[in-house]
Amino acid sequence: MKTVMLLLPICLLALAGVSSGQDFKKEFIDPMPQDSRSAAVKVKGGTMLFLAGHTASLSQANAELGNFNAQFKRVFDKIKTTLSQGGATFDDIVTMSVFLTDLRYIPEFNKLSKEIFKKNFPAITFVEVSHLARPQLIMEIQPIAVIP
Amino acid sequence: MRMIILWGLGLFILAGSALAQEREMIIPVPQSAYSQAVKIKGGTLVFLSGIGPADEKGVLAAPGDFPGQVRATWENLRRVLAKAGGSPDDIVTMTVYTTERRWGEIFTDMRKEVFKTGYPSSAFMEARKFKTPGALLEIQAIAVLKE
Repeated sequence: MKTVMLLLPICLLALAGVSSGQDFKKEFIDPMPQDSRSAAVKVKGGTMLFLAGHTASLSQANAELGNFNAQFKRVFDKIKTTLSQGGATFDDIVTMSVFLTDLRYIPEFNKLSKEIFKKNFPAITFVEVSHLARPQLIMEIQPIAVIP
Repeated sequence: MRMIILWGLGLFILAGSALAQEREMIIPVPQSAYSQAVKIKGGTLVFLSGIGPADEKGVLAAPGDFPGQVRATWENLRRVLAKAGGSPDDIVTMTVYTTERRWGEIFTDMRKEVFKTGYPSSAFMEARKFKTPGALLEIQAIAVLKE
């Protein structure tokens, strides 16, 4: 009897440990809606999805050459497809590395991304690079998502 | 006797939960203050936005002074991590972008002062520009908080 009394709390503790591991928590630290990003995103639990750097595929001739809005739309369409294959949505993105050939596109980027991330603003790092994989490309985006 | 077995069991469970938090630095490179990999299980992840030498209002610190900007960047990292309930020691990996790759050694020398319990994994590269005009570096970090 004494053994059972002592074992019970230990078993309960062990169980609590297991179930707390399945809890999912996400917190946006210092969200900046005007920049459609947060200073940091804190996540516990969930399933992680590491995406490749996504760029606009320019199969449709040169209509998108140098057109920021068109490339943005194409990149995020592709990201959406990848996310859904992994069972995720835009809302699950916690951080993105945004590589641009010209950082003067940032205000335009923020304006467009506000329509994608209504309030769950991910962490973002903007970096201006001299070249991407192909000469026509002006942006590459590498996100990480965490699925609850 | 039973008590001893139970104590053993309790300690085993405690040790198990403590081990889950332990991080392992794989192939540390102390001269450059980084590790080739960091292995960790469990914990709460913090994904940070690119942090540079500009304060909360976007005002650039130490214009033209790379070491001064590195110090300001660490302060900003500390501030954001503190809001998430952590500290720089919780950083597991970082991508460091600078406008001049020849500043690598200055950066890694200064990084030695920041990490007391082991070095994170890191990549270092040259970028053309950052969001804040005049910023000479930016760090993108991921941290795993101790529980």
